[in-house]
Amino acid sequence: MTETLHIRAQKFFAQSLVEGLSHPDQSWLDQHLHECTDCVREIASIQELLHALRTVPVSVPRDLAARTQLRVRLRAQEPTLTSHGNFLLWVITGFSWFVGVLSAPLVWRGFAWVGNYLHVPKLAVEMGFVLWWAVPALFAVAAVLHQKGFNISPSRGPN
Amino acid sequence: MTDDTQALAQGLNRRDPDLLDHLIELYQHRLYRYLLFLTGNPALAEDLFQETWIRVLERGHQYNAKSKFESWLFAIARNLVIDVSRRKKMSSLEDLGDPDSNQPFDPPDEHSTSALQLLVSRENQQAVQLSLLKIPAYYREVLLLRFHEEMGLEEIAAMMSTPVSTVKSRLYRGLAALKSVLPEGAV
Repeated sequence: MTETLHIRAQKFFAQSLVEGLSHPDQSWLDQHLHECTDCVREIASIQELLHALRTVPVSVPRDLAARTQLRVRLRAQEPTLTSHGNFLLWVITGFSWFVGVLSAPLVWRGFAWVGNYLHVPKLAVEMGFVLWWAVPALFAVAAVLHQKGFNISPSRGPN
Repeated sequence: MTDDTQALAQGLNRRDPDLLDHLIELYQHRLYRYLLFLTGNPALAEDLFQETWIRVLERGHQYNAKSKFESWLFAIARNLVIDVSRRKKMSSLEDLGDPDSNQPFDPPDEHSTSALQLLVSRENQQAVQLSLLKIPAYYREVLLLRFHEEMGLEEIAAMMSTPVSTVKSRLYRGLAALKSVLPEGAV
């Protein structure tokens, strides 16, 4: 029996395990195995390994399920940012931005008056005005990013 | 979509703790075995087991019931394993994400003993079972999913986010790798 026939038989056997064989190929393989003890022995070994893969004893550590259940329950009790919460956050942010823009001239005049009254340099007044707007926004961004960090953990999703 | 999977999706969306308790109980053996076979490290498999279920809780709303729950569950576990292997540069996992090199499979040292080997060998000394642990994780994974979990090729491909052809190729190479680690005298 030639080497080519053995290789063909091995290929057909693997194919039968992975994606199935056509009827003529299966018949050819059966016929070959009927005549070739080497291939029968090799295929039996692989089948034995696959059987071992199915039956290999792996015991789950004691209490792992119970510990996991407890951890999941505790996490489930933590507050999350729901879509409803998200919507409210956007509404509040939008409203805050709108009011902020409307009140900007008044705030600017207030800063100018205080600066004038306390004899603070114009540059410091301008910086104070910028910080007045920027700091709360930066805190809000940090809070949102922090929240997202909890909800979207570091890796990809499960598709 | 069956009523069961729809109810499951709704329960996950509600973050129903009773449902999660039930699922953890139901899938503990399959998930732990999958993680243990992938990582070869019982302690890490335990950590990832817990982390997988936390992620199921956090992302339950993403399960749309179009795929089987177990495929979705294994996909989460797999992504966690990949994250850990990248963070810790674990050589034992040999980068599950990109294994399709044309290099021939090189069987590991006969005398090297991993934690997984120890765990399994305590319960079953048969050399034939230890042989399984000598093949690379990315082949072991597809072999486990195909021949133990009895998943279809498309299902495995969807879970691993790879084409079916890649899954087939890994299965063929995995079977070839199995052949190369058969115990002496078996062939």
